[in-house]
Amino acid sequence: MSNKSISKFARREFLKISTAASAIGAMGASGLASRAFAASGTVNFMAWSAAVDLVKSHVAEFEKSTGINVNYANAPWSNYRDNIVTKFVGGAPLDMMWVSDAWLPEFAEAGWIKPINSFDNLMKYNDEAEKFCTDSMTYKGQQYGLTYYTDFMGFMYDESQLKKAGISTPPSTWDEVTEQCLKIKAAGISDYPLMLALANESWLMNFIAAMVYSNNGRFTDEKGNSAMQSPTEGAVKALQWVVDAVNVHKIVSPACVETGELTGLKAFQSGNHVFALEPKYRMRPMNDPKQSKIAGQVKQALMPKGNGGDHNTVGWMRFHGMSAGAAANPEQAELTAKLIEWFGGRANGEYKFQKYLFTDVGAGFGVKPLFDDQDVKDAYNAYADVDMIKAQQGLALKSDVVTPWYGEWQETNASAWQTAILGRSTAQEAMDKSGTRWNDLKKEFS
Amino acid sequence: MSDQSKLTIGYRLLRRFNYETRSAALFILPVMSVLALVTVFPIFYSLYTSFFNLKLTRPHRVPFVWLDNYIKVLSDELFWESVQRTVSFTLMSVSAIAVIALLIALLLNETFRGRRVISTIVLIPWAIPTVANGLLWKWIYDSGYGALNGVLLQLGLIDKYTVWLGDADRTLPLIANAFVWKEVPLAAILILVTMKSIPADLYRAARVDGANAFQRFVHITLPSLKPGFMLVMIYETMMAIRHFDLFFLLTEGGPGEASHVVAWQIYVETFRNLSFGTGSAMSYILAIVTFALAYFIIKMLGRRV
Repeated sequence: MSNKSISKFARREFLKISTAASAIGAMGASGLASRAFAASGTVNFMAWSAAVDLVKSHVAEFEKSTGINVNYANAPWSNYRDNIVTKFVGGAPLDMMWVSDAWLPEFAEAGWIKPINSFDNLMKYNDEAEKFCTDSMTYKGQQYGLTYYTDFMGFMYDESQLKKAGISTPPSTWDEVTEQCLKIKAAGISDYPLMLALANESWLMNFIAAMVYSNNGRFTDEKGNSAMQSPTEGAVKALQWVVDAVNVHKIVSPACVETGELTGLKAFQSGNHVFALEPKYRMRPMNDPKQSKIAGQVKQALMPKGNGGDHNTVGWMRFHGMSAGAAANPEQAELTAKLIEWFGGRANGEYKFQKYLFTDVGAGFGVKPLFDDQDVKDAYNAYADVDMIKAQQGLALKSDVVTPWYGEWQETNASAWQTAILGRSTAQEAMDKSGTRWNDLKKEFS
Repeated sequence: MSDQSKLTIGYRLLRRFNYETRSAALFILPVMSVLALVTVFPIFYSLYTSFFNLKLTRPHRVPFVWLDNYIKVLSDELFWESVQRTVSFTLMSVSAIAVIALLIALLLNETFRGRRVISTIVLIPWAIPTVANGLLWKWIYDSGYGALNGVLLQLGLIDKYTVWLGDADRTLPLIANAFVWKEVPLAAILILVTMKSIPADLYRAARVDGANAFQRFVHITLPSLKPGFMLVMIYETMMAIRHFDLFFLLTEGGPGEASHVVAWQIYVETFRNLSFGTGSAMSYILAIVTFALAYFIIKMLGRRV
């Protein structure tokens, strides 16, 4: 046989073999895929990558207890929303997923998630859940899940620094915050006594909302129209306070617009500030000697109130939701409801997951009976005052801007509010811009 | 057409391409298919998408809107503000890159002890991954613990830590600085290669004619560098206009709208607002402008080369 014919033979054979291999590969892959879809007794569960080991062990217990398989997958919080939206749109197998209350209207309107009202085994837990949590999972009268975790924005202070400045009690109004900060600054204890992390990230809304609600303000009225630009609604007053704090009193660093929540936390833990707005669950690392220079000194006070305001703050929560795909198939919906109950309700008679989530990583829970659990009490009191937490949680309000256009609106806010904080526009102009954008989006989505 | 004539056409096609050509085409086919799938198809699909009001959060309502997305983008004040910032960023970056790269190329074109070591050091920024570069500068510029504040304080140039990226007047120049640092090595190499290709006879003849070093630089070096400069200008202009990474890593478009450039706006519109229709329209506008600019630069510089 000549070299040329060997070459021809080899090429032909190669083509035949590679074509056959590709075909077999494709068939195999599609076969595997169809098995994944067709498998009975399997629930596809997607979460963000928090408490991964805890979730895995709780899933393992569920599988052992029920014989139902769970395909657990996770993605980082930073791109979780994009990730899960892509899955919904692409029709990827997905039954139960963690959902932020901020996305509920958007997901519900798109028909990606479905209500759980028809599942009595899930709805019975509402009696033991914080009302604020149930409200946050409810959209247009339908409930979409069970609580995964809840938290609120807290006002923290470094007790020893406060005493050093000769101040015996923490501030109870925003005017007192200004006064105390100026005193602390004058004493040379801190250049910028109050830490605010106002970088363009999802936390920004919660920081500002806490201040707005404590000024008795709202972003929207009962009909859902923008009320934030009204000088009497508290939002302008709250933003004006921040603008003055940065530009007039200089008690908040101008770097606040580039400070993310985590960076701000580290700065506070380093002892650079005396007061901070931080999510309540950060109390634990703040008082952990391994993570904080001011461990043992951090206390929580009720959110200071504005003129005519109260000690309200903003609360938020995450929940276990059911996909439209799962709800469309009664058998799959039953399996999914069991997994939702296992995580968000009682597992073998206990609120195991929420309890472990709290004791392991300090994440707040949304079910009242856990406040009576001795382990929980002991864990809380090791680094915080459980009574203060209960009191502030009782004053937490559901965010009034959670709508299908919330994400888009937030993009405008970040720019508008930061521009005001930098002194390049007034607080009124910033809120006017936010309000106009809100109404435009509402119109666009209606 | 009859079966007979179809067969004849097929036979003619087979005859036209010999066995080797047909085999080669067959082997290339899988790669071409993959390329078509991952490159060509998305390009045309995004063009198609730009004519629809496609918003992932409203998947059941995707109307065909003709050129409305383009009109909406072009009549948006924020878009034109971001165009202005993109132009400022590009002018700052490209001019700085051209000047610094020329100086470095002139230095490396000389023969001196340690030239190789310096050449290697100059290349380091280019070798650093873009994300690492962004994080590096984020640390340098940080107002609380950044190296820039530390150095300036130790040198006595500032008396307390200064806000860098959080100051809207400084944001764009600071990002441009980080971009220049990353891009200069490649530009310097391109100019150096052009410089090396200048015939030595020209310099010898100029010396005989009594030209001094400055005259030799102005009348021989600079005109001969035009091809290299053209390449640098086109490449760096396109890179600067489309640049996204540093804006994402350093400021996320902020503070306020201080670093809201076109590439950032495309990202926000597409991946945060999930508006793929307007996002695609913006991308096409940016692509057309980039191509037009590259064509203009080639025309301007090319005719004098």
